[in-house]
Amino acid sequence: MPWYLHLALRQLFPTGRWFPFFTVISALGVALGVTLLVIVMGVMGGFAYEIRHMITDTEGEVQVKARGWIAGYPEVVKRVESVAGVAAATPYAVDHVMIKFGDKAEYPMLRGIDLDSVERVTPLDKYVRVGSLSDLDDDSIILSQQLAAGLGARVGDTIEVYSPLIIEKLGADAVFLPRQVRVVGILEIGHQQLDSSTVYGTLRLAQDLYGLGTTVHGLNVRLEPGVNEDDAAARINAVLPADVRAFSWQDSFSDFLWVLNLERNMIFFLLLFIVIVAAFSVMSSLLISVVRKTREIGLLGALGGRPAHVAACFCAQGLFIGVLGTAAGLALGFTGLAFRNNLVLWVTRVTQREEVMRRYYQFSELPSHLSGATVALIAATAIVISTLAGLLPAWKAARMKPVEALRSE
Amino acid sequence: MSEPVLSARGLKKSFPSGDSVLEVLRGVDLDVAAGESVSIRGESGSGKSTLLNLLAGLDAPDSGTVAWEGSTDTGAGRRAAYLGMVFQSFYLVPELDAEANVLLARRILGGLDRAARARARELLGQVGLGDRAHHLPSQLSGGERQRVALARALMNGPRLIVADEPTGNLDERTGNGVVELLLGLCASANTALVLVTHNAAHAAKARRSLFLQAGLLGAG
Repeated sequence: MPWYLHLALRQLFPTGRWFPFFTVISALGVALGVTLLVIVMGVMGGFAYEIRHMITDTEGEVQVKARGWIAGYPEVVKRVESVAGVAAATPYAVDHVMIKFGDKAEYPMLRGIDLDSVERVTPLDKYVRVGSLSDLDDDSIILSQQLAAGLGARVGDTIEVYSPLIIEKLGADAVFLPRQVRVVGILEIGHQQLDSSTVYGTLRLAQDLYGLGTTVHGLNVRLEPGVNEDDAAARINAVLPADVRAFSWQDSFSDFLWVLNLERNMIFFLLLFIVIVAAFSVMSSLLISVVRKTREIGLLGALGGRPAHVAACFCAQGLFIGVLGTAAGLALGFTGLAFRNNLVLWVTRVTQREEVMRRYYQFSELPSHLSGATVALIAATAIVISTLAGLLPAWKAARMKPVEALRSE
Repeated sequence: MSEPVLSARGLKKSFPSGDSVLEVLRGVDLDVAAGESVSIRGESGSGKSTLLNLLAGLDAPDSGTVAWEGSTDTGAGRRAAYLGMVFQSFYLVPELDAEANVLLARRILGGLDRAARARARELLGQVGLGDRAHHLPSQLSGGERQRVALARALMNGPRLIVADEPTGNLDERTGNGVVELLLGLCASANTALVLVTHNAAHAAKARRSLFLQAGLLGAG
């Protein structure tokens, strides 16, 4: 091992001292920053991961859309399913409706699904909390959980559905009465927007309400595991008519994903400041060390140590503190993530807010997902910042002339 | 005839002092042969340490030259192998034990191996600290610390050792022991020694004694 690394290690971990104060305090600052980054990025990643799953569960991995409507959709479904990597496709029709129950009205999206094929593409049944998808017919609907709660509707109730077609035909002296439908299920997807404004009905019900005839608005496509969504969308586009296009879910929800990424990046940079503040503390400690060890620095020069190596000795101390703090921070962070739900449970119990938590966040457990790339980014950033903190002390040490350093009092 | 281990010619060095310039060395000449011991005495502020720094290549003269075996390369790279230094304040690294302090000289030179470790232990044995190899400087007395510093100076088998008041922080009895040890080790290794000291008795033990006065070296 080069002498400057050996000396850096020895100065951080002097012989016979297990917990050198300066090293432990400096590393602790970095560790706290890394711990927070791991926990917060893990939980945010968990939310994003769940949301992405929810999107692909409800919309498929590829969406096929037309400028207006897709006519002859069975043929389009057949073509799409013939593409390599496509597992299944299912048609849908979706638009705004007004629903009324008693004196309460809401304006959700009513999504018509093909009961014969929907389960092969979107596993909706697993989100149905009350009732069952198999109970759905052309005179019934499934309400999303918050929408049902807002209306006060339960399974078995009958509600009125007003479609846009009614408004369109008002001027034509035609009378279109609202459709009376039964509630046969309550569905909870876990996403605020979907759970507060979505109604599921059959494809035929939606076609009737929107006056679509035999056309549909689009197709949801499920891919075989491991197939790249963008590549699959490109292959599907090759077999589609000119006015019908396929989009990967990333393209379809690009704005939403952009906002998710923006939030994630902003949080990362904000929490990074904890590591930066810790790095200033490391720098300050190393600067004091340079002043305190001025005569030792002179000695190293007198023994033939080159200024660059003297600098490397102090820079390496920043690096070692960064590595130690990052390792401790990762260990603490992953421990924190492992016990996150116990912590949430304890906080909600102590504050008696378990129900509030469920009502507002639609979960009783904190999700967590941390990719290897994110862990590597956190670790690399913390280590690089700590190493950079050693640069100024290293520069000061390298500039010292041995003869002056040895003379210093 | 072989080149002197150390050769200084016309060394001049001055320092600014307020509005004037203080001429510390006014043209010092010095030759030291292989294995020779030379002591330099002088009053406080006479420029002994300044001269030693120039001879060790730690500082540059205003004019004149310093050559080690004929070469004026006195840079850090050559110094590690050619020169050993002993200081008044020992300058041991407090985080390293005695053996690691001795080995530091070899680490900086490069080539730390089993033989080097054996030599470090042998040197510690020669200075009477064989059983204190793993003691930290804080666990050693002043005399013991200076003996560790002697072992460190000899670690790389230097051709020349420069010692700046090595007994300055020691009591007389301990100081006598350190000087005896220094002279003995240098003699047995055929290493030249330039010893700067205030102590006339210590200076007299060197083969040649010089006195620095008014910026010039003369016979002691």
